[in-house]
Amino acid sequence: MDPIQTMPVSPYARLVRAVLRTWALVVLAFLYLPIAFLVLFSFEESRTPGLPITGLTLHWYEKMISNGILLGAVWNSILVAVAATTLATIIGTMAAFPLVRGGIRFPNVARILFTLPIMLPGALIGVALLLFFRRVLDAELSFWTVIAGHLVFTTPYIVLIVGARLQGFDRMLEWAAADLGASPARVLRHIVLPLIAPAIMAGALISVTLSIDEFVITFFTVGPQLTLPIYIYTQIKFGVTPEVNAVATVLLVGTMAVLGLSWLMAGQARRISGLIGSRGGAGR
Amino acid sequence: MPPNSAGGAIVVPPATGLAVRAKVGLVRAWPFLPAGLMLALLFLVPMAVMVVFSLWRTTPDFDIVPDWTLDNYAYFFNTPTYVRTLLKTLIMAAAVTAAGIAAAFPFAYFLVRYVSPRWQRAVLLAVIVPFWTSYLLRAYAWQAILGPKGALNQLLTGIGVTDEPSRLFIYDNPGVWLVLVYVYFPFAALAIYASLEKFDFTQLNAAQDLGARPDQALLHILLPQVRPGLITACIFVFIPILGEFLTPALVGGTEGLLIANLIVNFFRGLQYTTMAAFCFIIAALVTVLLVIFRRYLQVEDVVART
Repeated sequence: MDPIQTMPVSPYARLVRAVLRTWALVVLAFLYLPIAFLVLFSFEESRTPGLPITGLTLHWYEKMISNGILLGAVWNSILVAVAATTLATIIGTMAAFPLVRGGIRFPNVARILFTLPIMLPGALIGVALLLFFRRVLDAELSFWTVIAGHLVFTTPYIVLIVGARLQGFDRMLEWAAADLGASPARVLRHIVLPLIAPAIMAGALISVTLSIDEFVITFFTVGPQLTLPIYIYTQIKFGVTPEVNAVATVLLVGTMAVLGLSWLMAGQARRISGLIGSRGGAGR
Repeated sequence: MPPNSAGGAIVVPPATGLAVRAKVGLVRAWPFLPAGLMLALLFLVPMAVMVVFSLWRTTPDFDIVPDWTLDNYAYFFNTPTYVRTLLKTLIMAAAVTAAGIAAAFPFAYFLVRYVSPRWQRAVLLAVIVPFWTSYLLRAYAWQAILGPKGALNQLLTGIGVTDEPSRLFIYDNPGVWLVLVYVYFPFAALAIYASLEKFDFTQLNAAQDLGARPDQALLHILLPQVRPGLITACIFVFIPILGEFLTPALVGGTEGLLIANLIVNFFRGLQYTTMAAFCFIIAALVTVLLVIFRRYLQVEDVVART
């Protein structure tokens, strides 16, 4: 860090810093406290979780893994997430190229189009899809309608994440490869894709976790099937069982692990592109 | 990222024959088609359908008939409860946004100014991770703290403030407010962090060298430069709350309901045209906000920071 930046600028600098540090710690505690209680309560013996803790048990985890309805819901969520993410990753990555490199007529319109599904409240997208499927197409709500709904919000994330990577991409590498006689297909296969692969993977992982956790759009577009969040919601709404805390703990810890992983991979990508001297400077 | 990257920096290749060939190979419009068609079919068309339906009528046996009418909108604006709920939603969104920014700004400032880059990455990860995890569960987790048997009530009865668990913290507006601040804090923190990170803090020293007080330096030098980040934070917190029904449904009780909870009620009651009109009112508000603030909005700063 630049020494000037750390130079005190006011006689109160020390005090300000201490106050800010305390605040930062309070904020971090605020972020993790509810999650910590949730995890704690998943081990609580009593049927009505709460303080004080009466005893610790793995009972709810045992009940969880022998609950057929729950496991079915988990399986459904995984199917939807894999299907939606696979499609979204393919079409999103493809779309990112013309969007960033100017292959389409109105890139700014397209950019707005791809940010809208992220910005608009999910309830609006869910309602619009519901009306479209049920009353225009006259289709039954099913897995396919849920996958379609998830496609709408996961694809923009892939486009933005891969697009951000492409923006910092050193085109010289492609031109050099072409200079040396590589066909466009080989440039794509051997130069471009390997370099943006970490961004594609990070986008796909985020898409999977978002899809598995998605509740609002699914709520409007799902038929008689249960996805995991829908199952958890009905459990919470109509008679709490401590099992939900166990499910929640597994899901939260699971997604955190996946996200930590994707973040590390994206960091790796930044370092690699830093090494080969990316000129765009999109990464940090 | 350069400041204007959200506006779409296009790398212009040098005009040599080979470079042009490579450009032609990888810069074409067709790869955009699948995603573009998907969004048109599954997003734009359904949105248009929603608008059209909001102008039609639902028959008593729940059919939608194409009688063009503004009745659905008149129904909304002539029912005081609905208008009040909309106003309350706007106030709630404003209150959550204010609290979110008030919490996030000092946090992000501390992070950028006083924490080493290595630790910044770690703390940032700690903020990002809850941001991507289950929204449903994060809202639900608060029941463990705010609920009748929750930690807060146990603490208060423990130190003798109350005799029996209070239901004050949950199933009412304050509980909804708190949980919404919690849920949307990471959006605000990320947006503000991204703009503070680009700020050159030596400018503050320069301002003070020239005689500015620290508060003046913050107000006149720092604030104008981080304004895009602040606006992005506002938008990212304010807009989703307009469509928020899950947190009120979980911790709001009957008092804490917001406008989108009405939509769910009409959805359950199969009153699809009324539902569409309510949705369009929210969508119109969102669109107006996005159009007004579009030039400041830096979506990638929040979303693509993986």
